[in-house]
Amino acid sequence: MAAATKKILLVDDNLFLLGTLALAFANDGFKVLKASSAEEALALLEHEKPEIILSDYEMPGMNGFAFRKQLLENTATKNIPFIFLTAYNDNTLVMKGLDELLAVDFIDKETPVPVIIAKMDNLLATVREKQALSLEELKRAAEAINIKSVPIKKPIVTGFNVEFWHLPYHGYPGGDFIDFIRVSNRYTCAVLGDVMGKKWTAWFFTFSFLSYIRAAVRFCVSSGEYDPAVILQKTNQVVCEDEALTDVLAGLSLILIDEQTGHVAYAGAGDLPLLYYNAAGKTLTPIKTCGLLLGLFNDASYDAASITLHKDDQILVFSDGIIEYTEGDKHTSDYALFKNNVYPLLQQNTGFAPIRDYLSQTITGASQADDCSIISIIKK
Amino acid sequence: MILETKTLGNILAATITQPEANLTNAEQFKHEMLTLINEGNLRIALNFAQVSYIDSSFLGAMVSSLKYALGKGGEIYLTDLKKDITELLRLIRMDKVFKVYDSINNVPAA
Repeated sequence: MAAATKKILLVDDNLFLLGTLALAFANDGFKVLKASSAEEALALLEHEKPEIILSDYEMPGMNGFAFRKQLLENTATKNIPFIFLTAYNDNTLVMKGLDELLAVDFIDKETPVPVIIAKMDNLLATVREKQALSLEELKRAAEAINIKSVPIKKPIVTGFNVEFWHLPYHGYPGGDFIDFIRVSNRYTCAVLGDVMGKKWTAWFFTFSFLSYIRAAVRFCVSSGEYDPAVILQKTNQVVCEDEALTDVLAGLSLILIDEQTGHVAYAGAGDLPLLYYNAAGKTLTPIKTCGLLLGLFNDASYDAASITLHKDDQILVFSDGIIEYTEGDKHTSDYALFKNNVYPLLQQNTGFAPIRDYLSQTITGASQADDCSIISIIKK
Repeated sequence: MILETKTLGNILAATITQPEANLTNAEQFKHEMLTLINEGNLRIALNFAQVSYIDSSFLGAMVSSLKYALGKGGEIYLTDLKKDITELLRLIRMDKVFKVYDSINNVPAA
């Protein structure tokens, strides 16, 4: 895997030193952000997230300690490794910075620039290694208790070819999830969800939601309920009434596949409209239902759409990451563009493979803005 | 601060100053919104004129802020949305959750 760009924020009122350090770090492959005061750095940090900050201590206006204190009070910046660059060798000052203000290190301004860069490189390597280990531990814990965001293999549904593709954002587990529930000899339920608020702990929320949804679906079906809108309604009530899930919201698509009739019933909660490809007419149509995000309002109502699939007809259900495009540093969401891009691939009538290949080629590394998940249902 | 605020009559106009409303600023946005609501600003018009992209993390923060405001008898309006964002909100039915206006001038006075 290619090394990710290293991004550093340099803060120093000495413009000559700032320029010299910036050039040296840039030559070493860093993307460099510069600020000539703590105030300027704070403004910059509102829309930039460096991996590491190297800051002077004595600056006019806000000094390095006050700057560090402000960073520690902000959840978005408190965990960015912070190093003081200072001409001071006062041990009391150094201890305050290291103990109270959780600075990672102090570097004397007399230190040769190549040594400063080597220190930053080593520190970043350690931070990244620690993050990778934490991620690995999370994945291992998930595997150990046999729960996953997505199934291991595609489901077997008589008369249909059901497949999926999922790419987690930067390898972090959680966020989107896919599930297939065989509810009887006749029905299979396909579920695609997106827990909003991608963060380190989203992994846990994902499985909470998945458990609720699985339980709600199975409960409804066992009591003779085959309407996905009612299933969503009951799931939403469970989510809304559970205090542990306050502030957790999720988009959800629920598709009940009837093997006997070829009917597909769909209900959505704050999800993107699914795409229905009619092979005979070569038409591609968005199908939308009215449901709001799960967890939003206890009394929210949900409706369902029914589609009868014929040979080679195809349905695509997908999360918002699939329709996000990146150009340079800019992201856009474009449902219509995705629809236009997959239309010629659907016309080939060669199954899910062309769409999976297209997504694998276009959504990679830095171009990925979110979790990406898609389910394809084709009538044989 | 990612919100610039200005009081217009009984409405607080809050402009999002970031071109991308995403994971990196969602928590900060929510914190600022909850602070504004706790300060007694119960009618907030969020101006999106500078925003070109919004992700699900930020949407989650918006909805959480709305739920908090509604719980206190407040309301949050969305104004000056770019076409792409309007379309995305419409697709996922957020236009039924928030009251959306072309500009703050169209927000009802009371």
